Amino acid sequence: MAPNREPGLRFYVWVWIGLLIIAGVEVLLTYQGFSTGALLAILLILAVCEAGIALMYFMHLKYERSTLFWSLIPVTIFALFLMNHFWADALRLIKVRVVPF
Amino acid sequence: MHEASAQPVVHRHAPPQGFIRKYVFSLDHKVIGLQYYGLALAAVFIGMVLSWLMRIHLGWPALPFPGLNKLSPNGAPGGLMTPEYYLSLMTMHGTIMVFFVLTNAPQAGFGNYFLPIQIGAEDMAFPRFNMMSFWVTFLAFVVLIAAFFVTDGPPISGWTAYAPLSAVGRDAGPGQALGQTLWGISIALFCIGQLLGSLNFISTTLDLRTRGMSLARMPYSTWAWFVTSVIGLLAFAVLLPACILLILDRVAGTSFFIPAGLVVSDKLQPHAGGSPLLWQHLFWFFGHPEVYIAILPSIGIVSHILPSFLRKNILGGARTVVGSLIAFGFLSYMVWGHHMFLSGMNPFSAILFSVPTLIITIPATIVVLLWLGSIYGAKIRFDSPALFCLGFISLFISGGISGFFLAQPSIDIQLHATYFVVAHFHLVMAVAAIFGIFAGTYFWAPKMFGRMMNETLAKWHFWLTFIGVYCIFMPMHYIGLAGNVRRYALFNDDYMIPMNPVHKFMTIAALATGAVQLIFLYNLFHTRFWGKKAPDNPWESTTLEWSTPSSPPPFDNFGGKYPVVYRSPYEFVEGGAADYVIQTSPVEVGTH
Amino acid sequence: MSESEVALGHAAVMEEPAYALPPKKLTVWLFIISDSLTFGSILFAYGYLRVGSTNWSTPFQFPSILNGMIMTFVLLTSSLTMLGGVLAAKAGRKSVTVRWMGLTALLGLLFAALHLREWSHMIGEGWRLFQNPTGGSVQFGAAFFSITGLHLLHVVSGVIAILVVAIGFNRGRLTEGHVETTGLYWHFVDVVWMFVFPLVYLMNAAR
Repeated sequence: MAPNREPGLRFYVWVWIGLLIIAGVEVLLTYQGFSTGALLAILLILAVCEAGIALMYFMHLKYERSTLFWSLIPVTIFALFLMNHFWADALRLIKVRVVPF
Repeated sequence: MHEASAQPVVHRHAPPQGFIRKYVFSLDHKVIGLQYYGLALAAVFIGMVLSWLMRIHLGWPALPFPGLNKLSPNGAPGGLMTPEYYLSLMTMHGTIMVFFVLTNAPQAGFGNYFLPIQIGAEDMAFPRFNMMSFWVTFLAFVVLIAAFFVTDGPPISGWTAYAPLSAVGRDAGPGQALGQTLWGISIALFCIGQLLGSLNFISTTLDLRTRGMSLARMPYSTWAWFVTSVIGLLAFAVLLPACILLILDRVAGTSFFIPAGLVVSDKLQPHAGGSPLLWQHLFWFFGHPEVYIAILPSIGIVSHILPSFLRKNILGGARTVVGSLIAFGFLSYMVWGHHMFLSGMNPFSAILFSVPTLIITIPATIVVLLWLGSIYGAKIRFDSPALFCLGFISLFISGGISGFFLAQPSIDIQLHATYFVVAHFHLVMAVAAIFGIFAGTYFWAPKMFGRMMNETLAKWHFWLTFIGVYCIFMPMHYIGLAGNVRRYALFNDDYMIPMNPVHKFMTIAALATGAVQLIFLYNLFHTRFWGKKAPDNPWESTTLEWSTPSSPPPFDNFGGKYPVVYRSPYEFVEGGAADYVIQTSPVEVGTH
Repeated sequence: MSESEVALGHAAVMEEPAYALPPKKLTVWLFIISDSLTFGSILFAYGYLRVGSTNWSTPFQFPSILNGMIMTFVLLTSSLTMLGGVLAAKAGRKSVTVRWMGLTALLGLLFAALHLREWSHMIGEGWRLFQNPTGGSVQFGAAFFSITGLHLLHVVSGVIAILVVAIGFNRGRLTEGHVETTGLYWHFVDVVWMFVFPLVYLMNAAR
C-alpha cells in the first residue's frame, strides 16, 4: 500500500469524533418522543451509517481493492435482509396469544 | 531457495516424525482429509445400523427384538421398541448422517485431501486451523454419541430438533433431558469446526493457487468445494446462535422458543413469550443451505470425474457448470420456508418461498441436462467411478423430480411429513451424495493409496447398491402419497394396513443393501494394504492431482517443485499419442 | 520482508492472492462476515420476540443510558487507540505499538468492567434470563443478557488477543500483519456494539 494513501492518526481522530457525534445524536433522538417504529427506523439508519464509516475508515475497507467490498458486503447485507421474512410470523404472534392461566 | 522463501509460507518444515505427529495431530491436509473420511465411515456405519433397527421395527412392529432389551431396558422392554425409542433412533440417524457423513466426507474429506493438490498448493492456508477443525468435529461426534449412554437416552426431537419438544426438557419425554442438551452442544461444536474449515477452504482457494491456475482453470470439484465453503460460512454462523439459544432455554430457563401456557405431561411449563416458529426459522435458515452443502461437493466431484470417462469436457464448460453452482448457492438462502409450509407460518410467506424454490430447480435442471448432453454420443469408459457418477445422476434426477411437487404449498399440504418427503431427501441428497462419495473413492483411491481398487468387486458393489437403494426408496413415494406419515413408530389406522407389506419389502431391501456395503468395505481395506500398485495417472485424467510425482503424493504434494499450469482442466484432443492433455503441459509455441 | 509484500505476488510461483490481501487478513474479514450473521440472527430473534410481545418492558432510566453512552465512548476510543497501534506497527515502532495496544486492552477491560457492573446492578434488582422484576415480558432479560453476553465474550477474547499479539509483536515473533488483523477484529467488535447499543439500550429506554 502506497504510504500517501494511508491516512494518519489525525484523520482517524476526526472519524472518531464523527462517530461520537452520531452516537450522541442517537441518544438525543431517543428522547424526542418518536413512536417505537419511527425510533427503530431512525436508529437503524444511524447505526448503519456509523457501521459504514467504521468499516470504510477504521477497518480500511475504503482503501482496499473495491472487489473486496463488493465480494463481502452485499452478500452479508443480502443474507441479513433475508431474515426479514421472520417479521411475517412475529407480527402474527400477538394475534395468537394464549392468556396464561 | 530464494523463490521458495518469497511466497506465502505454508509449512516449509521437514515432514513430521513419530506416529502422533504423522497420523494423529497431523498438519498435513491429506492426513486430515483421510481422518474426516474415516470419521464419516464410522458415522455412516452407526447411522446405517440405526436405520436397520428402525426399518425392522416398521416392517415387523410386533416382533420383539432379541437383545434390544439388554441394550436399552427402558427403551425396548421385552425387546419391543417404545415409540420414544424409535424416535430417538430416528433423531440420531438423521443427525449423524446429515452432519457427520454428508457434511463431512464429500467436503471435509475429499475437499481437504484434493483441493490444495488440484490448485497446485502444498497444503491448506492454515494447517493448524485445519487440524483444529478436525479435532473439534471429532469432539462433536463424541459428545453426540455420548447421548446414547446417558440415563435417559438420546433425544427424540428429530435432527431438526423442533421446539418446544427440544426446548422444554425432561417433561417432554425420555432423551429430552441430558440427551438433547448434549445434542445442542455437539452441533454447536460442529458449527465451529465447519466455520474453521470454511475459512481455510476459502482462503486457500483464493490465495494459494499456483502460477497459471486462474480461477477459470480450477476443476469443477475445486469450485464446488469453494462455493460450498462460502455457503457454509454463512449458514453455520446462524445455526450456532440458534443452538446456544436452545441450550439456554433448556438449562437457563429462558423462553426463546417456548410459548406461554404450554402443558406437557400434565405439567404447566414455567415459560412464556417464546415462539417455536422462531426456532424453525433460524434452523431452516441454516438447514436449507445445509442440504446444498451436502450435495454440491458431490455435484462437483461427479462433474470432475465424468470427463475422464467420457473423454470430453462437460457440455457448456466451466462457465455454465460453475455458474450453476453459484446460482445454487445464492438461491439456497432464499428458500428455507419451504420446510415450513405447514408450520403455521404466514401463508403469504409461503408464496415468497415457493417461487425461489421453483426457480432453484433451474440450475439443478441445467446441471443435469449438461451431464446428460455430455454423455450422449460419448465413448464411455464404464469403470467403477463412471458407474457411480451415472448412478448419482440417476438418483439426483429421481430424487429431484419429487422436489418440484413439494415446492408447491398446495400439494405440500398433502405431502408434508409423509414418506414422500422421506423418499425425496433420501434419493436426492443422502443416497446421491453417498454415490458421489463412492465415485470419489474409486476414482481417487489410486492417488490416495497408490493402489487400484478391485474393479470386479466395485462393479458388484455398484449394481447391487444401485438396485438396492431404488428398492428402498422408490416405494416410499407411493406410500407417502397414500398418506403414510413419517416419524411415526406405529401405524394403527386401518388405511395403513395394506402398506405394511411395502414396509417389509423396503426393510428387506435396506438390510440387503446394507450387507452389500461389506463388499465396499472389504475392497477399501484390502486395497489400502494389498491392492495392485497403481500407475500415476490410471484414468488418464487432466487435472493437477494426477501430476504429483508419486501416489500417494509426497508430503508437500509436488516434491519440492511448484507446478505451472498452462491449460484449462478437461482438455481432451483428437489424434496424437494421447487423447488428453494434462493441465501442466506447456502450450506449444506458435500453435495458439 | 513484510507479510503483505510476501503475499503480494511473487508471480514466479503463485497466482496473485485475491484482493491483494495476505491470507490471514482475508480470513479475518471472512470471519467477520460470518460473525455478523451470528449477531444478526440473535438480534433478529430479539426483534421477533419483542414485536410479538404485548408487555415489553422499557426499564432503562437515564443512568443506565448514560452508562451505555460511557461504554460507547470507551469502546470507540479503544478503536482509535487500536488504530494508533496499527499505524505504529506499520512504521515499525515496537514500543509505541505495544503502548497503544496496551491502552486498547485497558479500555476494553474498562468496557467489560462497566458492563459487568451494570449486570450486577440489574441482577441485584431481580433481572434474570428468565425473570423480569417489573412484571413485564420475561423475554427482556433473555434477550438482554444473551445479546450483551455474546458481545462481552467477544470483547474479552479480543482483549486477550490484543495482549497476546502485543507481547508477540514486541518479541519479534509476530508481524504488523498480526497487529492489523487483530485490529480488524477489534473494530468489528465495536461495529457490533454500534447496533447493540441503539437496539438493546436506546430502544428500551424509559422515555
